[in-house]
Amino acid sequence: MKQSAVDAVLRGLKAAGVSVVCYLPDSLFKELYPALDADPDIRTIRVTNEGEGAAICGGLFLSGKRGALVMENSGLRASIEPLARMGMGAGIPVVMLMSYRGELGENNWWAIPHGMTMEPLLNAMRIPYKVVSDEADIERAIAHAYDWSYAAYYHSAIVLGGSIVR
Amino acid sequence: MKRFDCMKALAARLKDELVILSLGASVDEWYNAAPHMREASLFQQQLGCVTPQAFGLAVGLPHRRIVSLDTDGGMMFNLGILATLGNEKPANLFVVVWDNECYQSIGGPPTHTAFGNVDIAAIARGAGIANAHTARTVEEFDAHCAAGLAAQEPYVVVAKVAGTVQPDIRRKHSDGREDKYIFVRHVEKTEGIVIMGPSEHN
Repeated sequence: MKQSAVDAVLRGLKAAGVSVVCYLPDSLFKELYPALDADPDIRTIRVTNEGEGAAICGGLFLSGKRGALVMENSGLRASIEPLARMGMGAGIPVVMLMSYRGELGENNWWAIPHGMTMEPLLNAMRIPYKVVSDEADIERAIAHAYDWSYAAYYHSAIVLGGSIVR
Repeated sequence: MKRFDCMKALAARLKDELVILSLGASVDEWYNAAPHMREASLFQQQLGCVTPQAFGLAVGLPHRRIVSLDTDGGMMFNLGILATLGNEKPANLFVVVWDNECYQSIGGPPTHTAFGNVDIAAIARGAGIANAHTARTVEEFDAHCAAGLAAQEPYVVVAKVAGTVQPDIRRKHSDGREDKYIFVRHVEKTEGIVIMGPSEHN
């Protein structure tokens, strides 16, 4: 990611009131994670799998603080179980920011499943999402995800793809 | 050792704390063992989510003591949270693992702790949680509650309890959605904050 895109993510998260980010690092966001770690306004929590991160974000919601789950889109698969239980069973929302692995242009065979499963899983979970490929749209997309999730009390997702992550 | 007796001992020590608890019969037992903590307890049916949610709550409310009432099946569903706690070292999180060595709510097939090999407290210590202990009597359990509720680092007690359920207790009628609202309103009231505020008109 370019520094300007990293900065846009940080501005978007802060404008949405996010003070804690749970993450499991990946390569497409590799410049984002140290920037999150270094930001004095954001506490980062490294997790062992994205489902654990989703559940921690659920607990943050219950505290009144705003959290974000930042991950590769493969993490969506690891998160489905807690997302279904928290979102559908109790109305506890999680906002996710994920990198788009496996979109057209992908040249790693192991990343193909991430692209093939992401949108069907988001749709199966009735999670609204926006794929952002223009850096100028990052901040607004993040703001809209939080607006929606705090009206619906359900999960939403922002997917960063295209030239933002390559 | 009966889980219900342990719950009554723990409940007697609680006042301003917030509790997240696991699924199955322990929900109804806690509802009856700690009636004064009903609004302060989030009753969830979420295997593997309980301690991570409690940790998130502890991060968001660092001045408040948070109690996680997890289970052997629930903790083993996501052992990674122990490693996260070992690194993050929350100063306000007390974790109880009700270890009845079985999946009680579906009739009692054994969990991995039933065969004498798997020791959740030892796993927790290996994950960097120095205060991780196993209790086999109510007295031991109660002493760990006293220590765990005052600790300034994560504290885990694995309570080895019987696979029985307290008979003739009142069932909780609310579902996860109603429980969330009750809990959120309690947090809002006691913290003086807004979590789920009024909708916009536009």
